[in-house]
Amino acid sequence: MTRLFYVFVIAAGFAVIGLSNGWSLGSSAATGPGTIRITSREISRVRVDAGRPGRGPGDTEIVRLNLFNKRIKRQPIGHADYVCTFVTSGTRSCTATIFLPKGRLVAGGSIRFPELYELAVLGGTRLYDNARGTLTVIRTTRRPRRDIFVFRLTG
Amino acid sequence: MSSLRHRLKSLSLALRMIVASAVLAALVASVFAVLINAVSGLNDATRREAHAKDVTAATLRLEKLVLDLETGVRGYILTGEDGFLKPYREARQELASGRLREFERLASTTPEQGRRARNLTTAIRQYEQDYAVNLLNIARANPPAARDFVAREEGQRRTDEIRGQFTNFLAAENALAAASAGSADRQADRAVALAIAGLIASTLLIILFGIYLARSTARPVRGVAQAATRLAGGDLSTRLDEKGPGPGEVGELQVAFNQMAEQLERGRAELESQNEKLRESERLKSELVSIVSHELRTPLASVLGFTSLLLTREVSPEEQRRYLEIIDAQGRRLSSLLNDFLDIERLEEGQLKLARELFDMGTLVGEQAQLFAGQSEKHQLDVVLPPRPLPVRGDPDRMAQVVANLLSNAIKYSPEGGTVEVVGQREDDRVRVSVRDEGLGIPDELQEQVFGKFFRGDAPASGIAGTGLGLTIARSLVEAHGGTISFESATGEGSVFWLELPIAANDR
Repeated sequence: MTRLFYVFVIAAGFAVIGLSNGWSLGSSAATGPGTIRITSREISRVRVDAGRPGRGPGDTEIVRLNLFNKRIKRQPIGHADYVCTFVTSGTRSCTATIFLPKGRLVAGGSIRFPELYELAVLGGTRLYDNARGTLTVIRTTRRPRRDIFVFRLTG
Repeated sequence: MSSLRHRLKSLSLALRMIVASAVLAALVASVFAVLINAVSGLNDATRREAHAKDVTAATLRLEKLVLDLETGVRGYILTGEDGFLKPYREARQELASGRLREFERLASTTPEQGRRARNLTTAIRQYEQDYAVNLLNIARANPPAARDFVAREEGQRRTDEIRGQFTNFLAAENALAAASAGSADRQADRAVALAIAGLIASTLLIILFGIYLARSTARPVRGVAQAATRLAGGDLSTRLDEKGPGPGEVGELQVAFNQMAEQLERGRAELESQNEKLRESERLKSELVSIVSHELRTPLASVLGFTSLLLTREVSPEEQRRYLEIIDAQGRRLSSLLNDFLDIERLEEGQLKLARELFDMGTLVGEQAQLFAGQSEKHQLDVVLPPRPLPVRGDPDRMAQVVANLLSNAIKYSPEGGTVEVVGQREDDRVRVSVRDEGLGIPDELQEQVFGKFFRGDAPASGIAGTGLGLTIARSLVEAHGGTISFESATGEGSVFWLELPIAANDR
């Protein structure tokens, strides 16, 4: 009886947290303005050096990240793919596709400092159809590279 | 309603007072309860107000900490000098010491404020953990990145959001405090109004209680006191209305008073009766002394006078005989008087012994008539007797005394003479003897007293001798024989006295 009670309480707790965070992510975006906070861990980074050696315009960088909401579960809840093209030696123009459980979000823009940048949310699929807003990313650790993703959706 | 009134009326005074006091106490207790409730409400409002102040102070303190965080971070990023981080570090230290949890606890007076507080603390934590800490790290590793407009805008956005939440939270808290204060004011106003109403109701109830006490107790008691005063003043006919408004005890007092008044009135009536008897006795005694002294003195004076004549003078034998006859007559008269006195005394004391012989009343009446026939030349004595005997059982001497008295009176009270008619006859089972005269008659106003002791009417003024005991003795004797005696009389026309005795049983 006691065990059953604890199971119920824990399940209810997860449900509440889930609803107010990751699991309700799509719902929040789809139903109106809202803020979504998740974390990421870089799992791969590939840079294609074009032109002169070293970082320079035309270089392409493809980054894959795993996305987490540790309040819900330790395993990734999705992943993100970045495709960036360097426009200067330090600035790149990126398109990020963020794969979330109930749909995808697409963000894009210029990144000067990868430690802290802001992209425009250009749209989405399924639950995030017609999503708009900004994605702010702040680096938390360099090795491994971990970031905090803050989506501020306006519609 | 009427049954309630009846039930109330049946309660004793003590119980009524207890009930009235209980009602009054309940009302006063209710008023006090309302006041206590109001005071309690005011206390609650004061506590809520104090709590709101605490919450506001905690909010402002938290806002300052956020400002310190922001100032420290911005200062360091702009200058790169570690000294600018002092407020940041202090703020972080204070936030880490449970300030946020304390704020959440304080602010959770309503679910809505609790939610706002949790959102606010979450935003502050995220500002600190997600933005400030990471930005400082970025600033150490890559200062230009930290000074980038993205960092500024993100910081601005986050602090704006936090300030907005602070503003909303404080506005809601102020609204709650204002609502609480308003509610407390309304409650206080209502309590004051209720207390005033209760006070007025209590006052009215106390006045009503006083009026009720005055009506049900004081008034009846005053009535009893006034009646007692009248009673003390001699008005023994004073009575109280026992069906008045007085409750049990007062009603009992009224009943007891009336009983006492009745007792007193009865006692006074008895005393007056005894007093009257005493006065009558005194009058009779005085009259007796007067009569006795007068009646005895006259024959005694004659006896003494004629005896002195006989002893001191030489008188002829004829005169001597006449004197001796006078002395003899007066002596007999004295003896008769004394006998009358003795008889009346014995009759009154019930000591007169009567014989129970069978005798003929006709014969007795005839003999008495014969004795009186020659006593007066002016009177004619007619005797009418039946041929058959009139048998009576009793004392013939006493009956002779009665008849003689009637005959004597008829002659005495007919000073102008006339016929005296004596009739003896049977009437059913009784023997009736009547003596009729044509004398003075007895005035109507004196007739009731004829058989009273020493009553002689106008006889003394008319010079008619006598003691006034004859008819008293006659009535007592006739009644002692089981008979009755009475008379009919009219002034100037004479009287008829008659007596009736039971006829002797064996001759019926």
